[in-house]
Amino acid sequence: MHYARPFLKFILLMKVAFLFVLVTCMQVSAHVYSQQKFSLDLKQTEVSSILTQIQKESDYRFFYNYASIKKLGRVNLQVKDASVDEILAAIIDNKLPYKIADDHVVVFYDSDNISAQLSIRGKVVDKSGVTLIGVSVKLQGSNVGATTNANGEFIIKAPDNGVLEISYIGYEKQIVQIAGRTTFTVTMVETNANLNEVVVVGYGTTKKIDVTGSIASVKGADIQNLPVSSVAQALDGRASGVNIVRNDGSPGSPPSIRIRGTGTINDSNPLVVIDGVPSSNPDALGDVNPNDIASVEILKDASSSAIYGTRAANGVVLVTTKRGTYSQKLSTSINAYTGISNTPKYIDLLTAPDLYTLKRERYTNDGIAIDPESPWVDPYYATQRTDWQKAILGTGKVNNIDVNIQGGNEASTYYFSTSYYDEKGIIDKAYFKRFSTRINSEHKLKPWIKVGENIQLTYGESNSFDNNNSQTGLLFSALRFNPSIPTVNEDGTYGTSKAFSQLGDINNPYSTIQQTDAFSRKYRAIANVFAEIPIYKDLKFRANYGFDGAIGRGYNFNIQDLNQVRQNPNSTLTQSETELYSHLLDLVFTYDKTIKKSHITFTGGYSKQNFRGSSFSAARLGYDDTSKDQLVLDKGNLLLAASGGYNDPTALESVFGRGFYDYDGRYLATVTFRADGSSRFAPDNRWGYFPAFSLGWRISNESFMKDVKWIDNLKLTGGWGELGNQNVTPFQYVNVISVGNGYGTNGYTFGGAGVNGAAVVKTANPGITWERAAMTNISLEAGFLANKLNTTVTYFDKNTNKMLVPAVQVGTAGRIPSPDQNIANMNNHGVEVEINYSGGDELKYTFGANASFINNKVTKLYGENSFIGSVVYGRSSQEISRTYEGQSIASFYGWKTAGLYQVQAEIDSDPYLSSDIRKSSIKPGDVRFVDINGDGLIDGKDRTYLGNPNPKATVGFQTTLAYKNFDLSANFTGVFGVSLYNADRMQGLDPTSNFNMYAEALDRWTGPGTSNTIPKMSLDQANLNYRTSDLFVESGNYVSLKNLTIGYTFPASLVKKTTLSNLRLYVSGQNVFMITNYSGYTPELGYTNGNRQRGVDVAQYPSVRSFTFGLTVKL
Amino acid sequence: MKSKLTYTLLLVAICASSCKKNLELDQKGIYTTDNYFRNETDAVNVISGIYNLLEQEDYISHAETTFDVASDDYWRSGDHSEDEAIENLTYDASNAQVNFSWTYKYETVNRATNAIINIPKIPVISEAVKNRSMGEAYFFRAFGYWRLMLIYGDVPIITDDDYAKSNFNKAKSPIEEVRKQIEADLLKAIDNLPQSYTAADRGRVSKGTALGLLTKLYMYWEKLPQAITTGEQLISNSNYALATTYQQNFTRENASSTEVLFSVQGLQNIVQNDYTIYYIPRAWGGYGFSQPLQGLANEFEANDPRKAATLLSVGDQINIGDDANIDTFTADLSSTGFAFRKYAVFYPFGSAEGNGVDHNYAVPLMRSADIYLLVAEAKIRTQGAGAGDALINQVRRRASAALPPVANAGMAQLIHERRVELAGEGERHQDLMRWDKVNLVNIASIYNLAISKAPVDQGKTVTFIRPKHYYYPIPQVEIDKSGGVLVQNPNY
Repeated sequence: MHYARPFLKFILLMKVAFLFVLVTCMQVSAHVYSQQKFSLDLKQTEVSSILTQIQKESDYRFFYNYASIKKLGRVNLQVKDASVDEILAAIIDNKLPYKIADDHVVVFYDSDNISAQLSIRGKVVDKSGVTLIGVSVKLQGSNVGATTNANGEFIIKAPDNGVLEISYIGYEKQIVQIAGRTTFTVTMVETNANLNEVVVVGYGTTKKIDVTGSIASVKGADIQNLPVSSVAQALDGRASGVNIVRNDGSPGSPPSIRIRGTGTINDSNPLVVIDGVPSSNPDALGDVNPNDIASVEILKDASSSAIYGTRAANGVVLVTTKRGTYSQKLSTSINAYTGISNTPKYIDLLTAPDLYTLKRERYTNDGIAIDPESPWVDPYYATQRTDWQKAILGTGKVNNIDVNIQGGNEASTYYFSTSYYDEKGIIDKAYFKRFSTRINSEHKLKPWIKVGENIQLTYGESNSFDNNNSQTGLLFSALRFNPSIPTVNEDGTYGTSKAFSQLGDINNPYSTIQQTDAFSRKYRAIANVFAEIPIYKDLKFRANYGFDGAIGRGYNFNIQDLNQVRQNPNSTLTQSETELYSHLLDLVFTYDKTIKKSHITFTGGYSKQNFRGSSFSAARLGYDDTSKDQLVLDKGNLLLAASGGYNDPTALESVFGRGFYDYDGRYLATVTFRADGSSRFAPDNRWGYFPAFSLGWRISNESFMKDVKWIDNLKLTGGWGELGNQNVTPFQYVNVISVGNGYGTNGYTFGGAGVNGAAVVKTANPGITWERAAMTNISLEAGFLANKLNTTVTYFDKNTNKMLVPAVQVGTAGRIPSPDQNIANMNNHGVEVEINYSGGDELKYTFGANASFINNKVTKLYGENSFIGSVVYGRSSQEISRTYEGQSIASFYGWKTAGLYQVQAEIDSDPYLSSDIRKSSIKPGDVRFVDINGDGLIDGKDRTYLGNPNPKATVGFQTTLAYKNFDLSANFTGVFGVSLYNADRMQGLDPTSNFNMYAEALDRWTGPGTSNTIPKMSLDQANLNYRTSDLFVESGNYVSLKNLTIGYTFPASLVKKTTLSNLRLYVSGQNVFMITNYSGYTPELGYTNGNRQRGVDVAQYPSVRSFTFGLTVKL
Repeated sequence: MKSKLTYTLLLVAICASSCKKNLELDQKGIYTTDNYFRNETDAVNVISGIYNLLEQEDYISHAETTFDVASDDYWRSGDHSEDEAIENLTYDASNAQVNFSWTYKYETVNRATNAIINIPKIPVISEAVKNRSMGEAYFFRAFGYWRLMLIYGDVPIITDDDYAKSNFNKAKSPIEEVRKQIEADLLKAIDNLPQSYTAADRGRVSKGTALGLLTKLYMYWEKLPQAITTGEQLISNSNYALATTYQQNFTRENASSTEVLFSVQGLQNIVQNDYTIYYIPRAWGGYGFSQPLQGLANEFEANDPRKAATLLSVGDQINIGDDANIDTFTADLSSTGFAFRKYAVFYPFGSAEGNGVDHNYAVPLMRSADIYLLVAEAKIRTQGAGAGDALINQVRRRASAALPPVANAGMAQLIHERRVELAGEGERHQDLMRWDKVNLVNIASIYNLAISKAPVDQGKTVTFIRPKHYYYPIPQVEIDKSGGVLVQNPNY
């Protein structure tokens, strides 16, 4: 036999050589593969290991029954430049039949029971008869498998009563009974994306058709390469019932996520779970490279989120990152894009000459001499020198590059990625950078245990400016700073408003930026390891340990500045560090069983998670040398502050279970229960019990629907459940005495030295417990036109009960904030509609539209006419937002107006002023406020509801078009039925202020009939024309093209020559345009005081418009 | 397979049982009322915590000074429209200052009550510190109610029992009850407080502070004989003697002054001297609030050095400490032509402590001179003109030997003397209302004089309505929150 081998080898070589010549003539690229030679020197090695090694180094793929190969035992192999054929001949030694197909697939036939098995040949085609290559064919209940070759053919050994599973991505899995046949053709049917999709649910996955709750699913592919720092921004408009609220356009600034409205006045962000690790939200999303994401699932209703009972009241966002798959060839993908951004809008402001004229006009109108202590007697201030908006709003940049490598063999899978995202804001020195690395892998250690891990390491660095403060905000300052002042004086100092109080007590925003020397850094690791053990048949056990840890570092050097109005008397350096970490343990059992027509899945387990944190910071002041390389704490002359402490620790402990039952694909039911203990509440009130259920009826699977051809899918689901919220300050059940030696920490000074002081700073509520949200959900899902058209309509009604609100604290209790009490109720109800259509042949297209109509109302507070206030605006502490019982959260509250008084007679005879002491001070050109309570005078009691900042409707529309190598995708978002309060305009029109004004002031009242909305120029504040009123309430409706991307994929034939497998180039625009009547920078205003204030324009950092160019390369 | 299940269950059982104490967590670095009040340090700290409120921007340095803005001494300036309403008597119950004032004073009252309840329970504490601390607590509770009484009139009284039970939503007590409450606390404070302090405790309230406040209370209560009795106890005590010069009270030298009975202590880099920042012109790094009016400038006699100590007039020179040069006060630095010199305290150029505004300066809140003049007033009003001459002349002589002594002085001279001695110290509006109530002056006409108004307000009529404007309204938000328990002051 030993002699026979060279001979066989010779023949094989001849065959290969012939093939070689043939192939070379036909296709040049095959050259490379056919040439593959191997040099191996192995002793006593398993045959399977040798095959694995060849597979690693080549394009060959081996299919075999492990047991058969194992019987070959260990062999010695010493070859030099041998082909696969030679090697196989040597190691198999005719003990096992095999076949080498011309696509380098090698199939070994099972040696066991070879007589009882048939050699099945088959061909796999799609509906139109086109052969499908690489389709996986598997003998059910075994590891025997095969894939189809270039002709769509496969050969597999199987018993004559065997069952074959034939699966291919994008097609429905086919089950074929062999039933004695030896050849057949299998026709694959394309999957309907919506129905056979698998969605991630808490502690598991399920098929979308089986879902009885409301889950929105966004595929990673739809949100790749968008020039946004956080995946949260990318979700905007893509799912019904999910409102992404942009609070600040600064780079890296996290948006708020509102699922089905604002569920509570407290933290109402959803729970974010990244690969099974619940994280503090929503900033955790900003640490994930969006291109690592495989899918984002949003659990909206009680039934689907109840498995996360404790923290699910505001919905759950499940992020699943990409993983390799078993037996997947290594693939590498590189993404890179670069782009620029700018502000889509500037506000029209007065130029210096106009401002000078209008400021002087105030004195003329009031009949008084121009104040000598004012710039309005000095023509210097009538010359335009600086457009402050243009001085600070420039061009931003965004760059991203990431690489990912994925693949797997029979035993392991891997996914590795690394990325760098760099965004420079349109305001200089506002930036966000992120480096992230991810390693996800999984290993089948033994048939009975599978282990794996997900590791995400992120480094982030950023700086941003305060744009919320209505006295010092940066953009606010730019909008108010006098335009006759230069950015930089001739002597090199920064322009300043110090000369006169009438130039306003604001600092030169350009100097603020230039003098900024600050950053914050974040190092974060989110990781989990898991083990999965199939205990017995259908029962599986999974243990998951998760860790989420972040270290934050802050650095801020404030240089001495006596030149500006708001002086910084001493240079100060502050450095700080925070540490937050959390441990998680989940133990979960899953039982999955199909008995005849019933399918049962039970998931149950135990979970605990704890959170710890600490911080410290130090500051020194007095820096004699302010050169950059000397700015360390050691160099400060005097210790200003050194502080540190521990965050209040918190922990959760839970037991949960979920049962799913499906009968015949027609009747579905899910029952969930979770018991949660939270350390945030007093010992006697810690545990909360949260039940939920939902039922589904797939009407389209009923026999009576068989003849209804125009409906392909019809499913009615409904459910109810209760969820909890514990996102409130911990330890509110104890009171707190604070001891400190500073101004803000009760300290004082005796004998010229600082001393400690102590005071009660928090009173206790020993009865504090869970907020509970009861939610009802009814949904109808229908598919038409062979499921190309899918629609869903959902109604939901969510009642938040026992909502924690600060107890009414009367002023006689002093200035201590009152502890929260379980007092209030809130309701959100609404309708969600989704329509998706996909079709086309050569021109492939998809359309998706969604709309959410939500109504929010605080149904119970402290009693009739009770409210919760919010942050006040500007120098005069103006109230704008109040949350009243019976109204939507954070509604606007102020005076109604009825135009301007045009002539004196109107004032004299106005019943609104009949007993108003200020009547003699009110002049034509002043605002006529409405005397709501009819007492003949205008005061605080005449204030009323002015508008609702919570949108009535949010809509999204996505489309993708693909034609030949071109692709296009667009995402539109829209918001309707929303009021905004333009506080910045309110102040920008106020002539009694010391600031620059909006250009609109040119249209002021100058005599009867000249204006009915913009009062006359005056210094007199008796009428408070610029108090909070409906004059500054505007509609915030808009439609925006959030993203438009056009891509071109190079033809495969062209790309192959470069040894790449895929190359796509694209251009993308973010915030391309917006249609709105809103007069400020952007109607996307967001929150300015938790959930208590929304939609108030305080000159936030505007949304930026960006254009990027990018490419994706697959090696 | 069975064993696999057993192992798994065992693992679950171990995890679950080891987690029994998962939810029993302890805070680190936190004091609660259960673990505080252990020793003398805790007592002293709790008292310092009451003093801390004096430093809060929205309490003494801003809110409280605005309640004198209506007076004819100074114009509000600045850009707070709520201050303009107070100046022109057009304020309503939603005025921001009216809100700040209410809660800060009750915070003072509550912090004091907390000390009064808990300090006696401390097991180990020296008698001296305990007495002093109790005295300070009683004084501050009285001080809180004193300011509440001046500004709002009838106000709720929160007793020790109310405080302990968090029973805060209480109806107003008549002003008579409030005054009795203040009197009772001040008498206890006088018993407990020491006469004076060593340098290390400079800034604490003394027996004299309590006597001074009690004298003021009796004056506002129209209990003139009692005012004379308590006032004379203070005047006769050398611990509270007038400072050698008037100016000394408004410089760093006041640290060793016996005259300053009560003050806000500052500390460089820790607690800002808000008064100087608020009162000095914009160009000097301040906010330029509270600009004195022509009427006040006119009030000073020609050779009264208190004018230069009180006001900066055009042409006056001052060293503002930022360079070696002396700055000149020019017309473009103020809308009224004046600024308060009294609170403009700077480091001398080259000082090792700092430059610019002197934040180590302690701002006086009550001086013996005030009490001297109150006793003089009480004597004039009970015993007739001339009865207060000795005290008035003590004050005048201290100001300058060149000032002619008064003889047979009646209320007119007394009123003049109080105005020039105490200008800008928060007394004028309250004095005028106090005198108006007993028909000694006509406040309504005083406020409408041209010299009582800033140039910008010359076209305006200020209408003082009696009795409405004697007190400010209870904050509207408090009326709303009380659910009917609090009743608004009349006419609002």
